[in-house]
Amino acid sequence: MNLLSSVIKLVAKFNPAAKRWMHSFNGGVFPKYNKSLSASQPIRKQIIPERLILPLQQQVGLTPEVKVQVGDKVKKNQLLAQPSKDPFKALSVPVHAPTSGTIVAIEPVTLPHPSGLQDQAIILEPDGQDESIDNVLGVDGSIPDSPLALKAILLNAGIVGMGGAGFPTYAKIPNQAGKIHTLLINGAECEPFITCDDLLMQTQAGDIIQGALITAEALGAERIICGIESNKPAAIKAMKQAASNTKVEIKVVETVYPMGGQKQLTLELTGVEMPHKAHAVDVGMLMMNVATYAAIYHAVKFGEPLTSRLVTVSGLGLKQPYNMNVMMGTPFSALAREASPKSELNYPLVMGGPMMGFKVANNDVPVIKTTNCILANPPEPVEMQMPCIRCGDCMDACPVNLLPQQMYWHSQAHEFDKVEKLNVFDCIECGCCSYVCPSHIPLVQYYRHAKSEIKEIHAEREAVELAKQRHEFRLARIEREKQEREARLKAKKEAVKKQTSKSSEATADTTKKPASAAAAAAKAAAAKRAAAKTKTSQSEGQETNKVPSARMKAIEAAKQAAQKSAAEKTASQPEESKPKQADTKSAAKQAAMMAAKKRAQAKAQKSEEPTDLTQKTAETDASKKEDARKSAMQAAKAAAKKRAEAAKTKNKETESLSPDAATEKPETDSSGDKRKAAMEAAKAAAKKRAAAKSQNSDKTEEQIKPVDTSAEQTETDTSVDKRKAAMEAARKRAAERKAKQQAEKQDSDEQQENPQ
Amino acid sequence: MIEAILIFLGLAVLFGILLGYASIRFKVEGNPMADQIDKVLPQTQCGQCGYPGCRPYADALANGEAEVNLCIPGGTEVMIEISEITGLEPKAMDEAASEPKPKETAIIDEDLCIGCVLCIKECPVDAILGATKMMHTVIQQECTGCEKCVPVCPVDCIDMIPVEVTTKNWKWPEPNADKEKGK
Repeated sequence: MNLLSSVIKLVAKFNPAAKRWMHSFNGGVFPKYNKSLSASQPIRKQIIPERLILPLQQQVGLTPEVKVQVGDKVKKNQLLAQPSKDPFKALSVPVHAPTSGTIVAIEPVTLPHPSGLQDQAIILEPDGQDESIDNVLGVDGSIPDSPLALKAILLNAGIVGMGGAGFPTYAKIPNQAGKIHTLLINGAECEPFITCDDLLMQTQAGDIIQGALITAEALGAERIICGIESNKPAAIKAMKQAASNTKVEIKVVETVYPMGGQKQLTLELTGVEMPHKAHAVDVGMLMMNVATYAAIYHAVKFGEPLTSRLVTVSGLGLKQPYNMNVMMGTPFSALAREASPKSELNYPLVMGGPMMGFKVANNDVPVIKTTNCILANPPEPVEMQMPCIRCGDCMDACPVNLLPQQMYWHSQAHEFDKVEKLNVFDCIECGCCSYVCPSHIPLVQYYRHAKSEIKEIHAEREAVELAKQRHEFRLARIEREKQEREARLKAKKEAVKKQTSKSSEATADTTKKPASAAAAAAKAAAAKRAAAKTKTSQSEGQETNKVPSARMKAIEAAKQAAQKSAAEKTASQPEESKPKQADTKSAAKQAAMMAAKKRAQAKAQKSEEPTDLTQKTAETDASKKEDARKSAMQAAKAAAKKRAEAAKTKNKETESLSPDAATEKPETDSSGDKRKAAMEAAKAAAKKRAAAKSQNSDKTEEQIKPVDTSAEQTETDTSVDKRKAAMEAARKRAAERKAKQQAEKQDSDEQQENPQ
Repeated sequence: MIEAILIFLGLAVLFGILLGYASIRFKVEGNPMADQIDKVLPQTQCGQCGYPGCRPYADALANGEAEVNLCIPGGTEVMIEISEITGLEPKAMDEAASEPKPKETAIIDEDLCIGCVLCIKECPVDAILGATKMMHTVIQQECTGCEKCVPVCPVDCIDMIPVEVTTKNWKWPEPNADKEKGK
């Protein structure tokens, strides 16, 4: 091995590409590292800036909800914002106060994001006391015994991947123990200038190792391997010392960019090449940055949320580059000033390293959880872009074996489908191709542009499909409504005819019960629907039906409808209610009670099932949405029918019930009725979702209660409340879909975890 | 001579039978071209083409009864795709449609809404929620931006607003896009 490396070093003098033989992935580049600028300096004392800017949206996923108000006094580690509901789906994490002080504003600020867009942020004015709340997470310091327990702590601590991509750490961890056999620690830190991981390993090696051991214990991982690039001898020494007598293996890897990429380091350490579109978890491995492990240790042992991180402030434009444990929300400009810049900072700072970082839109943007480096490099003259000469250097440099020039060619021509076929989504945007390009083509920019275009095309295609489905559903609904109206009209006419003939012919057959025309019409429509749907062998001869049997059938239909949807739904709102005598009410009430009971039973059954994956419920939600709507309408109809029956028979049951459930409303026009039914359906869907959600959460029982009461409430609601409920349901549904899409998107995002 | 005639006659009969059988056995229901066209149409169901929806327009195109340049939301891109499918000559779009418009969605000023349900009846994708004499609202995720609800509103409380750019739907700009435009 030594002989080989010395031979390669010799060859490299004539052919620099020979250095690439030393590592297991393709390509890679050897930029000027400039790490000694900041690595030689000790970690500086933390500064408390004049104000801290805490963007709510610090990573992928949905925006968390603010829990404080302007003017509030907060202490260090206090919770400021929290994901509103079901954070495991929302992919978002809470925000905590980095120091004590006053909330002075909640306003949009420029984000440290390549777009330079603005978003809501909490502005905290520190009081300089730095008073903190200890163990804000309420942990007892013991190692979590299951992945779920660990995930809950990581979520509450607001820990995200600190290497660069900022994917919430809990979302990377599988739910079942034993799925991960190898835990990987990423201490490669391959980008030039950045030294924060290096110094972290030197100063907090024990914490990192402990964090890894805790994670391995909770997940049941057998091996822990840590990869550190060979250009950090001090860090390697410290880590080896801390890892002695533990199962952590420290491996020294070659110094090459992008060694810190998740897939690259995994290949180097384990020899396993990640398949296309697969995550590390799929092959039983999990890799996290050293800083993430240290944060895990602090959260699990001391209940400390993630409120500060080690940041490198470096660059050729600074006299005294340094590393500092910086509070989240500290403006870039304040940190850059501390390093005594050589000239005025009238050029944009860069967040991240020179290879993958981006220029911020405004030097006052805050440090966020993913900020590992603030770079102040004075602008250099831009090299003129020349046409591609097809030299293939980019192809040799690509660490993921892509064809950069082909992708460039097609991106330039806007043939995005072809770019996608060339696997542009496997591109980790490391920038090696741009670095080696003799024509100075900003290749990575082309791929980033192509990626966002392709994503948009996909989103559009989905939207088109959805619009088409909704339109077709609408057409079908209009058609059905028309048929129903006709059927009703027909039934009404027949009934009227029958009655007139009956009254005129006094001697006619009297076995037929007198039926009110309206009741008969309603019954006909309702029964037809119920029969078609639930397949009860119900005859169509409504006028001649015997009263008790019809009633039984109606109840049966309602029951079946309730069971079918397997969740609660409102059966209380009759579709075609008419102003009736007071005594008919009790029958209706009974129907409502029955439906409610069924609903409660269904829910109880559901909640008894072992709490399982969130995905499952998401699926069922989606698939059952239509079903629920249909069956809700059906149940409503059945109830209407029952009421009609009751009116006819003068109703024997006289159970006294609280005033109530089924609100009797004068019949409006038929379109009004349809809307009511739709709203009913929306409400049912909403409740079902609520139930499904509560099932997922840890405190199932506690959460079911509010759902129950809300279900009862809605039943007794006035029409105004109904409207609100319906709107809320619609919003929820939309949010759900958004979350799902988000999750999918995030999945693909995670794949290209930035190498650091 | 006679043999040759017989052979060719026999072949003709054979192929005739084969083709006749194939036309029955492999008969395609409906017009597959209409499906293809329907796929490329933007499905806003806006009716700006003069047909009551995207599907009817696709049917009309497949039957050769419509022009290729009627889909205004689709713009030139869709027009070219349609002409490729139908084999008809591409035609220039109207002035108004030539410039691609950013995606817009309808929003109801809820203070002004009188609850007339007119927009609900008009919406082709059931994206408006509300009831008689109740405030209405648009489900943003489901709005296709067809603008059908705008003219029917008696109190003019519906506005079309462009979709807001956030960090989630922000797109990386194309490098050197400005330079190329300048050329």
